[in-house]
Amino acid sequence: MHVDHPKQDHGLHLPSPTAWPMVLALGIALVLFGMVTSGIVSALGAVLTIAATVGWFRQVLPHEAHESVEVSTEEVPIFSSRTLATRLPADATSRKIIPVETFRITTGIKGGIAGGIAMAVPAAIFSELKYHSIWYAMNLLAAGGFLSWAGASNAFLSEFHLRGLLAALVIHGLTSLLVGLLYGAMLPMFPKYPIVTAGFMAPLLFTGILHSAIGIVSPILNQRIDWFWFVISQIAFGLVCGFVVNLQAKVRTPQFQALPFSVRAGLHSNLREWEPIEPTDSDDKDTPQ
Amino acid sequence: MATQTPAIETHNAAASKPSRPLWLEVLHGWVTTVDHKKIGLMYIGYALFFLVVAGFEALLMRIQLAVPNNHFVSPQVFNGLFTVHGTTMVFFVGMPILFGFGNYLIPLMIGARDMAFPRLNAFSFWISAFGGILLYYSYIGGSGLYGAGSAPDVGWFAYAPLTSRVFSPGHSTDYWTLAVLLSGVGTIGTALNIVATTISMRCPGMKMSRLPLLVWLYLVTSCMTFVAVGPLTAAQIMLMLDRYAGSHFFDTQAGGSAVLWMHFFWIFGHPEVYILVLPAFAFANEIIPVFSRKAIFGYPAMVAASVGIGFISLGVWAHHMFTVGLGPGANTFFVLATMVISVPTGIKIFNWLATLWGGKIHFTVSMLFAIGFLFQFLVAGLTGIMLSVAPFDWQLGNSYFVVAHFHYVLVGAILFMLFSAFYYWYPKVTGRMLSEHLGKWHFWLFVIGFHLTFDFMHIPGLLGMPRRIYTYEADRGWMIWNMIVSSGAAIQAVATLLFVFNMVWSYFKGAVAGADPWDAWTLEWSTTSPPPAYNFAKTPTVASRRPLWDLKHPEDPDSNYETEQHLPRSSQEESL
Amino acid sequence: MSDVALISNPNEEWVLPSRGIVGMVCLILAEASIFIIFVVAYIFYMGKSLAGPTPKEVLTLPIFTSICLLSSSLTVHAAVSALSRSKRHLCSLWLAATVLLGGIFLAGTAHEWYDLIYNHGLTISTNLFGTTFYSLVGLHATHVLVGLIMLALALWFSLRGQMTHEHTEKLEVLSLYWHFVDGVWVIVFLVVYVLGR
Repeated sequence: MHVDHPKQDHGLHLPSPTAWPMVLALGIALVLFGMVTSGIVSALGAVLTIAATVGWFRQVLPHEAHESVEVSTEEVPIFSSRTLATRLPADATSRKIIPVETFRITTGIKGGIAGGIAMAVPAAIFSELKYHSIWYAMNLLAAGGFLSWAGASNAFLSEFHLRGLLAALVIHGLTSLLVGLLYGAMLPMFPKYPIVTAGFMAPLLFTGILHSAIGIVSPILNQRIDWFWFVISQIAFGLVCGFVVNLQAKVRTPQFQALPFSVRAGLHSNLREWEPIEPTDSDDKDTPQ
Repeated sequence: MATQTPAIETHNAAASKPSRPLWLEVLHGWVTTVDHKKIGLMYIGYALFFLVVAGFEALLMRIQLAVPNNHFVSPQVFNGLFTVHGTTMVFFVGMPILFGFGNYLIPLMIGARDMAFPRLNAFSFWISAFGGILLYYSYIGGSGLYGAGSAPDVGWFAYAPLTSRVFSPGHSTDYWTLAVLLSGVGTIGTALNIVATTISMRCPGMKMSRLPLLVWLYLVTSCMTFVAVGPLTAAQIMLMLDRYAGSHFFDTQAGGSAVLWMHFFWIFGHPEVYILVLPAFAFANEIIPVFSRKAIFGYPAMVAASVGIGFISLGVWAHHMFTVGLGPGANTFFVLATMVISVPTGIKIFNWLATLWGGKIHFTVSMLFAIGFLFQFLVAGLTGIMLSVAPFDWQLGNSYFVVAHFHYVLVGAILFMLFSAFYYWYPKVTGRMLSEHLGKWHFWLFVIGFHLTFDFMHIPGLLGMPRRIYTYEADRGWMIWNMIVSSGAAIQAVATLLFVFNMVWSYFKGAVAGADPWDAWTLEWSTTSPPPAYNFAKTPTVASRRPLWDLKHPEDPDSNYETEQHLPRSSQEESL
Repeated sequence: MSDVALISNPNEEWVLPSRGIVGMVCLILAEASIFIIFVVAYIFYMGKSLAGPTPKEVLTLPIFTSICLLSSSLTVHAAVSALSRSKRHLCSLWLAATVLLGGIFLAGTAHEWYDLIYNHGLTISTNLFGTTFYSLVGLHATHVLVGLIMLALALWFSLRGQMTHEHTEKLEVLSLYWHFVDGVWVIVFLVVYVLGR
């Protein structure tokens, strides 16, 4: 059945043209056509269908019909049409390769878990100071998940509820994991000032987004949230998560192999000294400037 | 072979020159051909013909709706117009034209001589073509509710129980069913062929991880076709049984369910939207990098997003049925599933933007259409998210807002990308360039017409104008908007005529293209324009995703950068 | 034309899956989705008929014919492996057994339908059970019939000695289709005769 790539020297085999597929299609169409017009059309269609099936069958079996075609095309030279100026020597750094190193996916998960635990501490302190119960913040978070808790009193929220614990664990745990993964993915992209990025910029941005969206996501949280303490717990999350993430070893991506040997061998100790100068792999560098 | 000018607009061209074969011989050649390029061109030509026909139907509807209390066409004719317009555009324009491009390009892009099953390919084309003829024969022979010559008038999704013998006597609905059935058979055949070709006919070195993204997306589309068109075929068989054998699938009098038809139809209907739009993405994946002079950004993410869209799109059908009242559980599920699908779609949009970013963008007509596609597809996606919210959908379901939304996808995204693809691959097919000057006129006129029509079509929808009404009262406040929409449609028609003129003019007078006019990177540009019957004299071998880049820049080949992702870590460490 | 010869290791064998088998798998995928819709319709309308006869009253388990159909899967497999070892007479024998077993199944279905129509008065338009039963079982029987015709042709060629070792792959593709038809019967049997009764 593999006739795909025959030798070049005695012409190429291509399947020979045949009308049978068209006749078969016509036959089947006429059979259906007869259903809306008259039985005679269907009968004609059936005859055509059978004839075409037999004809097609004899085309393919026992051997597929072929015709030989002589190769008569000239060679097509392949070159770039953009050759107005001589091409600069290929610089190893002309291609942007991102990223050379990255974190493993587990790094983000670890960071998320650590940050999630750290975030709970300021939240518990806030609950204890303001409402004299460490469960208040937890219940407040969980309240977004239960319609019946929408109008709950402060006293109710200060008590321990198993449903509240489970709901808060799911909400908090999932969010922490996702944000942790995001940190693992994003921190290598912003290598400068990791503490500022991870510990302050990201939490403040996140708080800003949440501030505008919280009224829709969880109205009860919106009424009672204490933004000062919220920011503090966000920063706790950011600092710990960022710290844990940055503690982990980076792994080299497959792109690392494409680096010049000197970098790979460690002659340039710091990868960042070797930032690619040209931002793209545009092949227009050979056009006149 | 290659010096022969190919025949697209064959017949007249062939007849005018004495040295050419006779008219009948040329016709015989086209009828009996099993060559994937000729079949692809027949698909495209046939789809373009129906595009003009169904576009004309749209114009008639827009004339009717331009002013209130209009009597340009009767309500009966109007019902037939929107049914046939929708059916034609989906089954006899969208699918054939996309499969036509796939047929033409896929073997060339993977370095194969033909499709895996060339005869099946011809059969699939002809059976789809006869389906289209059958549908339009109903205008002459169909005896419907209003006597002979009435077209199908049950809407393109033909809800039960309107389609039962009692409510749709005569044969007009049967014409619709049979035409769709035939087109479905052809579609499955072509999809099967594309999958088998992609899996089994790749040239040496063309691993799945090096497949051009166009081919990848066609693979996903084709796999979706099996699971989408299968249910449609099954539902059409049931409808036929109901109408001919007296069974009770959708007969509410005998305990049958009308909602079951909706489920079956939309299990096909929603993946169908993605079957149509993924090839448009496929063109964008080839065209945007070439005119940005950069490799595509995030190849693996693009593949993963496409496969993701394929899977998720199978689980969103009931968002077409929010107004039925599915209950809160089902509603919530389909709202969320519909929203989730915007994630892989978003990944794609960001990847295209990242490909443009920092590139040296060449604003050819092809690229202009591609950029128009990016913008309009985003807007269409945003109104899609709006409609995916069930309570919002309850307000606007079956209004002109919905019509505007899906036409934004079908015209703003798919048709724009198709135009882009025409400008990009026309030189490969004919050996001549399309006129860029005329093309710019075409682009700007079409953009203006498109936005006039479909931007303003949202507004009567928000004001409560339902779809499928043949006219309306003057005091509803819809008049001015409908007037703008209709005038935009006229501009689009002019632009399309310009495009058709450009195609014909350039075929005879266009600049000679050469093998590789765009300095592109995929294999189809390594052979002559037009390609010989055997595509490649010597089967190519490839070592990267951009084989022609490697040949053009031997000092800096892609293969240096595309390391094997699936190698075990230890062997990678060794090679460091 | 161009030698795009940049392949790193030219000795590397370039093997791709057989197009026949890939094509058949695709066809099976499409057919499976058609069957799923009919099965869903059957399950959806289970017990919703407004008038009799009900499945419990009229259906009997077709155990013998089911065993025949399922064992024909084994015989067609034996035929393929015989052909791949160039034992052409053995292949003919197994093919004949397959056609016989498939024929028995089809005859069994025909007998069942005759009984239902003339003795129990159940037709496709009687009630929802009749509608879904005849369409689902009929769709399957159509597939059996098509498979049987193909197998009979293969048997004919095999007896005339025109089928040789090199046709193994084609016979294998056909056997894939036959396995699919048998697999669908398992589902139909479970839904119609076990779950729905």
